[in-house]
Amino acid sequence: MFDYIRAKSIDEAVALLNDPHCVSRPLAGGTDVLVQVRHGPPSFQRLVDISRVPEMKIIEQRGDEIYIGAAVTYTEIIESRLLQETATCLVEASRLVGGPAIANAGTLGGNVANAAACADGTPPLVCLDAVAHIRSLNGWRAAPVAELITGPHQTALHRGELITHFTFPILPSSARSVFLKLGRRNAQAIARLNVAAAGGLGADGRINFARVVPGSTLSHLRRFVEVETLLIGEAPSTELCETAGAEAGRVMVEATGRRWSTEYKEIALHGLVACALRRVFHLEN
Amino acid sequence: MSHFTQPTEYVGRPARRVDALDKVMGRAKYIADYRVPGMLHARCLRSTLPHARIVRLDVTPALKVPGVRAVITSEDFVDHGLYGFPVKDKYMLAYQKVRYVGEPIAAVAADTPQAALAGVQAIVCELEPLPALFDAERALDPDAPQVGPDRTDGRHPNLKSDHMLVCKGDAESELADCPIVLDRRYFTDWQEHAYIEPEGVLAIPTPEGGILVYAPNQSPFINQGNLAMTLGLPHNLVRVIQPTVGGSFGGKDDIIYESSAQVAKLALITGRPVRMVFSREESLVASYKRDAMHMHIRLGADRDGTLRACWFRGILDSGAYASETPFTAWRASIHAMGAYRYKACDVDVYCVYTNNGYAGAFRGFGNPEVCFAVEQTVDELADMLGIDPIDLRLKNCLRLGDETAHGQKLTESMGLVECLTTVRRISDWDRKRAEYSRQTDTDKRRGIGVAIMYHGMSLGAEGADYAGATIAVLPDYSVDLTSGLTDYGTGSRTVFTLIAAEELGVRPERIRIQRPDTNTAIESGPTVASRTTVLGGNAMRAAARNLRQTLDLAAADLLRCDPQQLIRVGEAYVGPDEEAVAWEKIVDHAREMGLILSAHGKWEAPKIVWDHHHGRGTPYMAYVYGAQVAEVEVNMRTGSTQVLHIWAVHDIGKVIFPQGAYGQLYGGITQGLGYALIEQISYRNGYIQETNFESYLIPTSVDVPEITAQFVESAYSYGPYGAKNIAEPSLVPTAPAIANAIAHATGRRVRELPMNLERVLLGHDLQPPASTKPAQIALSIAPRSMPQPAGQSVVRHAAATNGRRS
Amino acid sequence: MLIQLTVNGETIAVEAPPDITLLDLLRDYLNLTGTKEGCAVGECGACSVIMDGRLVNSCLVLAPQADGSEIVTIEGIHAPDGGPNDLQQNFIDYGAVQCGICIPGMIMAGEALLMHNPHPTRQEIRMALAGNLCRCTGYQQIVDAIEATAKQRQGEMG
Repeated sequence: MFDYIRAKSIDEAVALLNDPHCVSRPLAGGTDVLVQVRHGPPSFQRLVDISRVPEMKIIEQRGDEIYIGAAVTYTEIIESRLLQETATCLVEASRLVGGPAIANAGTLGGNVANAAACADGTPPLVCLDAVAHIRSLNGWRAAPVAELITGPHQTALHRGELITHFTFPILPSSARSVFLKLGRRNAQAIARLNVAAAGGLGADGRINFARVVPGSTLSHLRRFVEVETLLIGEAPSTELCETAGAEAGRVMVEATGRRWSTEYKEIALHGLVACALRRVFHLEN
Repeated sequence: MSHFTQPTEYVGRPARRVDALDKVMGRAKYIADYRVPGMLHARCLRSTLPHARIVRLDVTPALKVPGVRAVITSEDFVDHGLYGFPVKDKYMLAYQKVRYVGEPIAAVAADTPQAALAGVQAIVCELEPLPALFDAERALDPDAPQVGPDRTDGRHPNLKSDHMLVCKGDAESELADCPIVLDRRYFTDWQEHAYIEPEGVLAIPTPEGGILVYAPNQSPFINQGNLAMTLGLPHNLVRVIQPTVGGSFGGKDDIIYESSAQVAKLALITGRPVRMVFSREESLVASYKRDAMHMHIRLGADRDGTLRACWFRGILDSGAYASETPFTAWRASIHAMGAYRYKACDVDVYCVYTNNGYAGAFRGFGNPEVCFAVEQTVDELADMLGIDPIDLRLKNCLRLGDETAHGQKLTESMGLVECLTTVRRISDWDRKRAEYSRQTDTDKRRGIGVAIMYHGMSLGAEGADYAGATIAVLPDYSVDLTSGLTDYGTGSRTVFTLIAAEELGVRPERIRIQRPDTNTAIESGPTVASRTTVLGGNAMRAAARNLRQTLDLAAADLLRCDPQQLIRVGEAYVGPDEEAVAWEKIVDHAREMGLILSAHGKWEAPKIVWDHHHGRGTPYMAYVYGAQVAEVEVNMRTGSTQVLHIWAVHDIGKVIFPQGAYGQLYGGITQGLGYALIEQISYRNGYIQETNFESYLIPTSVDVPEITAQFVESAYSYGPYGAKNIAEPSLVPTAPAIANAIAHATGRRVRELPMNLERVLLGHDLQPPASTKPAQIALSIAPRSMPQPAGQSVVRHAAATNGRRS
Repeated sequence: MLIQLTVNGETIAVEAPPDITLLDLLRDYLNLTGTKEGCAVGECGACSVIMDGRLVNSCLVLAPQADGSEIVTIEGIHAPDGGPNDLQQNFIDYGAVQCGICIPGMIMAGEALLMHNPHPTRQEIRMALAGNLCRCTGYQQIVDAIEATAKQRQGEMG
């Protein structure tokens, strides 16, 4: 048994989440929380509904940055012209999260706070170098999403903190971002692997911007800087994409060691990263 | 065969499903939608160990839980609730031992679902683990842990059913003489029915001391028999009604009978209605599955592709209880060599006990398993000899006049060649086959593959094969039908309606078919084996003809002529004076004459003989045939397989309800596609790993391609209007067609199902560490909501507004 | 707690625990059993309803979350005379129904699609149904029915 209360503002939400008399947890889309409470007794006494807090529903450009409220749903991301133009990888990921009903409910903030290793929303955020903005009774703090997520279902969020929005710098005008997902079926499937990737070319036709973020891969979601370094300064080619894919596989194995799934993932990640980079650099026929 | 070449008015013409309106409006009531005053809620305590002795079972603490009204164990049933057909080996609640995770041990009835769970948790149940058996291939080892019941005939207790044989000639020496012999092993994994409606049963005690059970089972009369036997009641105090059923596919037999007995006993003890509804998690853990099967096939041929011999061995893992798997094993044996001619054939299938859940009936019933093996082996032979796979099949497949491997002469209704040639044409096979054979090394490769099947109609040598039906004209001139065979979504109620309309010469709108009810319908054997259209349809046809005779007599009397002189114009009767008389007038006149306007019909399948000891004879009265082609695209980097299109051409005899027949075919193909690529039930150390639809994946709308389907109507003289059947055969060839397409695309054979990402990419499966957690969570799901008692309004209308048009 | 919402055009107030789902509220408290429970974890879509113009899995909406919302369930989909509307009639006419347990959810998904995209392609229709599992039909006749409805509604709009 737990209680419910709806917050009307960020201030109210934070106050409710820090109520010393009632262990509270935020509720946004419900797609994770309501499954968890089915599987066992809740670890909280009250859910604070933040899904209708107006300040957390904003998608807009602020200077050189994009601002996305944490309670923005995948459907709102998919339908945002601004994000279609500036964050293709996030829009593509949002399309692949699940069926329409899941996309209508699930939120970006919820995806980060839940921090599932197989999440589809988080690799694009890390790829875009997104920063999470967090409110608590002590005020605001900001943390890169890559640092906020510390492991499978683990974050550096403290009790009583609330992710309110994300910001990320707009990619260089030459850059393009993509998202690929590999699941056991075409919809409503947990990612077996996914990857968000971005890249751009300088005036010399060589890669001067590269981001590669495989998901469902490491216990700690991060940019594969080793792969990005390999790409920078090179002219894009199919061979280069293959080399990068192989390097992604190597980095994964080095980081995780050999597990039950490594035999498959090493090969598939290679293929997925190579394919993503070919799309980034328009090498697909 | 003149009797079915006559034009029909309703049969085979566009028609709508009789229950579709209620379903699209959301009005159809399934068990979970029933509310009865005073209804209690039941829940089972289930085993969390795969094999254990029940050393202590004390239900008294549960009885002290507030709201708990009754708790039962095996002690509450006659003979501890022992039931099962064809093997009596399962108890309505576990007796002395549990043999699979999820097996019910005790059942609690309480005022609320929450109290029922509290009651379950209060039961003291001590289980002493026993050595468990998970490897079907080791089940008959002398030192294998004993799972099956004790035997007195000296044979291994884990042997569930005797060898299922098909024998023709001397296969060993024929194989030794063949220039080409393929020796291959295959494995097909467990499959969950995944009906979207989880199991549920409602039992209501009757004033006479009997019980009324609403059960979404396939075969209400079997349920009635089990209830009478285990509750110790006469049959006439046990009534079973089948409400609307939310899908079954073979899956709502034993598990529903078991739940029925539990709630019926609880209702009899408490004197109150009792309902049990499973969560999806409980459904996945507790319910039976399609068996897993280990297969070894040796196929011998000449260099020109002529098949000569087939040797087949199958081990069917039936898990902890027999359910219907001895029959599954038999059907598997009959179909193991595929729809081909051989000089010699040696098939042996046996069925063993393990502690992996339990297996039972599932659409296709052994044939999807063996078809996966034989159709890939035949395909591989074609590849090896450089012969087009369809050409090789046309060269060897059964034709009219051939004798099957069992010794059955095929004398009619044989459309297999037409299925193959049609599917070749509509799929543009030859062009695609050539084009995809020339693919250069790209990341995504396409392939096209074919598989054929045959499927014995109805029960065959499994047992007595008959059905009955009733028909009556009611006072308002509507026509009322009953059938002992049921409709769990298949469309058979519509088939019966169309047949009755055809025979009686009245519009289908006039006809209503009752929900199956053991009090009103005639016992007709089980609703399985795709037998409903032929058996139930013929029975309905007989009933309607009987009633028609009565009405014709009345019409002849009224119109003062011989019945032979009567003509029908629409519903009306026309006599020699050429004046049309309304059907209602004829009915009135029949009543004035004192005639009884109701009739029965019965139909029995033609007698067949099967010699189990020598594996020879006539296993089925006739067969349906089909050929499917699948076109796939395989991502060579990830193993991901997209099915781009499926073409299916099936010989099902005369199509009675076209829309329904196509629906059966599309749906069966979709289940076959899931079976082929994504559906995987993993029993790991006896613990199921997939306990809801986030882990047990079935195809979604974007996994299924557009399907092009066509029927070959090769009339069967014993079928109603020449009809055969479609439900099961639809899915049988899908997985091997996809497998053959994958092999065409990749050059590699996947010999295990499902052909998941890992198997397609690596050639073998990878399994995560086994976990007992999913099953444990599944059995402890706590309901939060409390169904409100019927008739109690909890709603306050804030403001009434007009209903909105949507 | 008291939950006030509009269901199928009717404004109602209902006293219910705060920790139940919208699905429970509809079925157990409002006796609207046309909305089905198939998995209770948002995977099957049998519980689909339209909430404030969007398709949702009512099993993943907490009942009080619907406070102030406008909900449409299968009971709210019908022609003005109470019979089947065009989409429902097409489900009947195209043979889209077998066991029927997924059908209320399918119809809600179809209506939600046509609200937002009146001219869907067959692939768009399939994507709109991707969260609604059907085990009987193979989806083909369901796609046919929605496609036909879209075309008919376009025709009506001229």
